[in-house]
Amino acid sequence: MRYLIIISLFLSSVFASEADDIIKKLDNNMRGESVYMKISMNIKSLRHERTIKMQTWSKGKDKSFVKITYPPRERGITFLSLDNEMYNYIPKIERTIKIPPSMMLQNWMGSDISNDDMVKQSSIVDDYDAKIIKKDGSIVTIELTAKENAPVVWGKIISKIDTTHYTGVEDTFYDEYGEKIRIFSYGDVKKFGKYYIPTVWKIQPVSKKNNLTTMIVEDAKYDEEISDQYFKKSALKRFSR
Amino acid sequence: MFELALKNILFYKGRSLTTFLLTFISATFFVVYVAFLDGSHESMLKNSLKVYTGSMQIYQKDYRDEGGYDYLIYDNKKIFDILENVDGVYAYTSRLETYGIASSKSESSAMMISGVDFKKESKISELKNALVDGVYQSTQNCLYMGQDLAKKLDVYLQSEVSFVGNAIDYSFAADIFKVCGIFKTGMYEFDSSSAFLNREYFDDLFYSHNTSSYIAVTVDDLSQNDYLAQTISKKLPKDIRLYTWQELMSEMVEAMKVDSIFGYISISLLFFVIFFVILIYGFINISARIKEFGTLKSIGISDSQIDKLLFLEVFIITMVALSLSAIIGGYCAYYFEINPIVMEGMSEMYKDYGIISDEIPTVFDLFTIFWNLSVILFLNLLSVLYPIYYVRKFSPIEAMRHV
Repeated sequence: MRYLIIISLFLSSVFASEADDIIKKLDNNMRGESVYMKISMNIKSLRHERTIKMQTWSKGKDKSFVKITYPPRERGITFLSLDNEMYNYIPKIERTIKIPPSMMLQNWMGSDISNDDMVKQSSIVDDYDAKIIKKDGSIVTIELTAKENAPVVWGKIISKIDTTHYTGVEDTFYDEYGEKIRIFSYGDVKKFGKYYIPTVWKIQPVSKKNNLTTMIVEDAKYDEEISDQYFKKSALKRFSR
Repeated sequence: MFELALKNILFYKGRSLTTFLLTFISATFFVVYVAFLDGSHESMLKNSLKVYTGSMQIYQKDYRDEGGYDYLIYDNKKIFDILENVDGVYAYTSRLETYGIASSKSESSAMMISGVDFKKESKISELKNALVDGVYQSTQNCLYMGQDLAKKLDVYLQSEVSFVGNAIDYSFAADIFKVCGIFKTGMYEFDSSSAFLNREYFDDLFYSHNTSSYIAVTVDDLSQNDYLAQTISKKLPKDIRLYTWQELMSEMVEAMKVDSIFGYISISLLFFVIFFVILIYGFINISARIKEFGTLKSIGISDSQIDKLLFLEVFIITMVALSLSAIIGGYCAYYFEINPIVMEGMSEMYKDYGIISDEIPTVFDLFTIFWNLSVILFLNLLSVLYPIYYVRKFSPIEAMRHV
């Protein structure tokens, strides 16, 4: 019995360590040292459909800058995520606004991702405990459980990862009560430099069957020099033009 | 038997007077107490309905459950045409409510901004009367803002407030508004998150022409609200749903029911004491009359006839007292319904609790008065049961020898 306990403890620590390793590799694939992307986002709901195009610059885990390039009405709107805080510049009113905490769970640009998703992308690695729950060929299913007192929205995330190139296949998000809230599915893996990433991301909220947000990565450039100027508040207005 | 009961009542003056006075005072107090309890509840409810809710609201199905722009009413005019042809509808107006970030020079806060027709709104809600500074009917990019929200944003009249949110096609909507009016309804949640913008300007900014979150309706006579709600519901398209104020304010209705129950429990303690006083007085009186009952039994009066006599005595005293209570208590309820007690400054003091009037009215309702008095009658008749049981235990001889 004692050996059985020791073996199961050993196996669970091995699986946990392997899960952490996979998540880190996946995260590194998505992030690199720095990354510039051109993304097109199509948002469908019961009555509306619209497309937004944007350019994003990110460096490390805590800095990212987003500029909307299409549609013309919204061109030049910029977002800056800096150390878990989010700022927004709107050229029409020439104002920079800090998104207050009470608005962080609001949808971002009418899509099915929230402001919080934009800021806390890094927390998957830092705020969740990872555990492998299934292996099916190259597809590994990992359960990410929120660490105690971690300032996160999701109670649990079940993540399917293709370990061939360490790319995401599907993420299912659960709230703190264990209720399934939304599903991210990924497809069309492409290589950019030395990194592989899925270029089609689909976000489907469970309770809104008519909603679907599709993000297509049109271009990505990894590990190229990105000026630190992008990650200052002054960039919001400066790079808006 | 009736005459004998009457003679006994007049003969045993002490017992009769005590029973009469206790019954009269408690019944009158009960009637007036319930009238004020119901009156204060009705007044709170009316205040709440008047402030913003209206007596019914019309929504696209699922809006209240799902929310969001996919469940707006996309053809206001169609609903307006229906409401226009229903007798008993006093006024109606459409509102489009959306949320976004409001920022002043130094502060940011979530804000509910509503596009309203200020003229129509003044017929439906108390927003106009809630004005504390500036102007009510603003034009262009003028905001009519809740006092607590203005405090939160640290803005005053003529201050600029930028707003960022989504138009109803989910595109970005942003503008800089000027604070032109500040209101206070007393409902903190409302005052700390709401601002109103004239509908024309709002519609241009949010692309919301002929669209609304819901349509608020008030009726001429609130007692006809359910009937009118049914009438209107039948005429509405299938994907549109009407909610009455009872459904909209179910939590408040429940809270009032609980408050009423606690009110009745409090007053029942008083009745409990009065019941025992009447019971004890009745028992002492009857104990002193055992010899009399022995004589009655010995000349052939049956136990059931004596029971009837004792019941009659209490019944007559109670009915006289209740008749007087009905007149005086009923008159008080009626008088204060028409001329509510006014406590100057009460609304100012309790504005934070949603009280917007200095008046404390009553509700004059014949059915309520009837059941109030019936409760007292029932208790008084109950109080004679034990004395009857006590008298029945004596045989005629034992009773005649009783000292």
